[in-house]
Amino acid sequence: MSEVIMRVENLTKKFPVSDGKFLTACDDITFDVVKGETVGIVGESGCGKTTLLKAIMNMQKPTSGKIIFHGEDITQLTGEAKRQNYRRIQMIFQDPTAAFNPKMKIRDIICEPLLNFDLIAKSEVDAKARELLTQVDLPADFVERYPHNMSGGQRQRVAIARALALEPEVIACDEATSALDVSVQDTIIKLLVKLQREKGITYIFICHDLALVSMFSHKIAVMYLGNIMEKIDGDKLSGARHPYTHALLKAVFSTEREKNQYIEILPGEIPSPLDVPSGCPFRNRCTYCQEICTTQKPPFEEIENNHFVACHYPLNKAH
Amino acid sequence: MLLDVKNLAVSYGKNKTPTISGVNFELDEGKILAIVGESGSGKTTVIRAILNVLPGGGYVSEGKIIFNGRDLSELDADSWRSLRGKDISMIFQDSGAMMNPVHTIGKQFVEYIQTHSDLDKKSAYDMAVEKLELMNLPNPENILKSYTFELSGGMRQRVGIAMAITFQPKLLLADEPTSALDVTTQAQIVGELMFITRGTGAAMIIVTHNLGVASYLSDNLIVMSQGKIVEAGATDDVVKNPRHNYTKSLLASVPEMGRRRYV
Ligand SMILES: Nc1ncnc2c1ncn2[C@@H]1O[C@H](COP(=O)(O)OP(=O)(O)OP(=O)(O)O)[C@@H](O)[C@H]1O
Ligand SMILES: Nc1ncnc2c1ncn2[C@@H]1O[C@H](COP(=O)(O)OP(=O)(O)O)[C@@H](O)[C@H]1O
Ligand code: SF4
Ligand SMILES: [Mg+2]
Ligand SMILES: [Mg+2]
Repeated sequence: MSEVIMRVENLTKKFPVSDGKFLTACDDITFDVVKGETVGIVGESGCGKTTLLKAIMNMQKPTSGKIIFHGEDITQLTGEAKRQNYRRIQMIFQDPTAAFNPKMKIRDIICEPLLNFDLIAKSEVDAKARELLTQVDLPADFVERYPHNMSGGQRQRVAIARALALEPEVIACDEATSALDVSVQDTIIKLLVKLQREKGITYIFICHDLALVSMFSHKIAVMYLGNIMEKIDGDKLSGARHPYTHALLKAVFSTEREKNQYIEILPGEIPSPLDVPSGCPFRNRCTYCQEICTTQKPPFEEIENNHFVACHYPLNKAH
Repeated sequence: MLLDVKNLAVSYGKNKTPTISGVNFELDEGKILAIVGESGSGKTTVIRAILNVLPGGGYVSEGKIIFNGRDLSELDADSWRSLRGKDISMIFQDSGAMMNPVHTIGKQFVEYIQTHSDLDKKSAYDMAVEKLELMNLPNPENILKSYTFELSGGMRQRVGIAMAITFQPKLLLADEPTSALDVTTQAQIVGELMFITRGTGAAMIIVTHNLGVASYLSDNLIVMSQGKIVEAGATDDVVKNPRHNYTKSLLASVPEMGRRRYV
C-alpha cells in the first residue's frame, strides 16, 4: 500500500523584515508525500513554494513545524547526520546558473556530489559524467564545457544530471523544466517517470505549467500566500473546487486561439506577504467572498477522499 | 520596416562552424514576432546579436542587421550606449541575475533611469515606482529598498520588465520573459506586454517555450532548430498547419489539459 515517505507538519516560516515586522512565507502547512509518487505544487510567484522546498531540503530552518522523513524530524538534524541526509534528498533549482561554480567544467559540476560523499574515484569521474549527460539527452563531450558556454536549457539539464548522480530517494524540482523547449521537456519528464518506476523516486515538483503538472503529478497542491488552498489528485484537476484553483485554470494559454478567448486575468493585486488579509488569504480577489470569509480563516478540510479544500464556499466544478 | 535581419550568422570562438546561420526575417513597427524552438538552437543568440551583447567569444560572422534604416554594425560605442536600454531594450531570462546583488533594486533602477535621462533623483525614483506599479508589484517602495535575493524569481522578473519598458522602447527584446512566472502572473504580464506594445507602437521579439503564449501574443512565428530557421509565417498558419517535421513534433509535445498523462 502507499507508504508515506515524508510528512510536512504545521510548517511555518517567517522572515524578519524592517521595524520588527515579519513576513510569513509559509503559514502552518501540513501534507503527506507518498513514496514513489509526484506531488506537484503550483501557485503565484512569491507564495512560498521555494521557501517550502528549502525547508524540506534542510537549507533553511523553519520558524516552527516539523518535516518527518523516515520517521525522523529532519529539521532537527545537525552535523554528519544532516550531511548524510542531503544525499537522500536532492534539489534541482529554479536558476541553475546561481548554483554552479562558473570556474568548474561540467564534468566536475556533475560529479561533485559523488566525490563529496566518496562514492566514486577521481578516475571514474569522466565516464560517470558522460553517462549522466547522455541520460539527459546532452552530448557526452559537454564534459569539457563551462556553464556559461551553454544555453539556458542545456544548463538546466546539467542540473538534472547532477541531482540524479546521487540516486536520491526524493528529488525536489523547483521549476526544473520551465527553461526547456516542450519536446526536451517531454523527454526529461519521461526520464523522470522512468526513474520513478524503476527506483521508486519521489518527486516534489514545483511547476507553473498547470497542464504539465496535471499530466505528471499524482497529487497537486495549490498554494497561495503561504497557505495550501487545495490538494487534489492529479487526474482530477478539472474537478477542482477552490475559487483560486479555478482562476489558475482560466489563465492557461493554449495553442488553440479559440480557447484563448476564455483567458481570464485574475483581478486585483497579490496582497503583500507582510500584510496577509484576515480570514481567507484569497478574499480580496475572490468573486465569491462573503462576510464570514473576511473574519474566519477557512479550515483545510477533506471534502472528498484525498481532496482537501480551504474555502467556506467550495465551487462545484471548473469552467 | 523597423528591423531587417539579413542572412545572419553568429559564431562562438574561432574557426568553428557558426552556431546560427542563414537567419532572415523582417519586423514592422508595432508587430510582435515570437521565436520558438529547440533548447540550444540559437534563439537567445539571435536576440543578443541584435542588441550587440553576444557573450565572450561570440561574433556576427555573416549578414546584416538594419534597425530603423541604420546598419547596426556601423554604430560606435557611444551610439550603442544611447540606443541600448532606450530605443531597444531587453528583458532577460532571469532579470534578477542581471542585477547587482550588493546594491538595492532602487539604487540600480534610479541609476538606470538617470543614465538615460536628465531626471533628478527624486523624479527618477517616482518614475521607478510608477513602472513597478504598472507591473502589478505590491509595495513598490518596499521593493526598491530590497536586494534581488530577497525577492522571489517572479518578482525579480517583473522588476526587470518594469526597467525594460521605462523608456517606451521602439523594439523590445524579450527572452523567455514569463518562463519563471506562475500562470496568473504570466497572464497579467502577457496582457501587459500586449498593452504596452499595442499602446506605444513598440515592436517586440519574444523568445518563449510556451507555444500557448506565442499563439496568443504574436503576429508572426519563427521556429528554430539546430541554428536554423526551419519554419516561419503568420502565427495562426504555422500553428494550424505546421509543415516541417520539427514544428509538428514540437506542437505535439505541448502539454494541454486533458492530454494523455505521463503517470
Ligand atoms: N558563450 C558561448 N560560448 C560557446 N557556445 C555558446 C555560448 N553561448 C551559447 N553557446 C551555444 O550556442 C548554442 C545556442 O545557444 P542559445 O543560448 O542561443 O540557445 P537558445 O535557443 O536560446 O536555447 P534555450 O532555449 O535553451 O535558452 C548552444 O548550443 C550553446 O551551447
Ligand atoms: N531570505 C529571505 N529573506 C526575506 N524574505 C524572503 C527570503 N526568501 C524568500 N522571501 C520572501 O518569502 C516569500 C516567498 O518567497 P518564495 O518562497 O521564493 O516564493 P515562490 O518560490 O513561491 O515564488 C516572498 O515574499 C519572498 O520575498
Ligand atoms: S473562503 Fe471565501 S474568499 Fe476564500 S476562496 Fe472561499 S469563497 Fe473565496
Ligand atoms: Mg520560487
Ligand atoms: Mg535561450
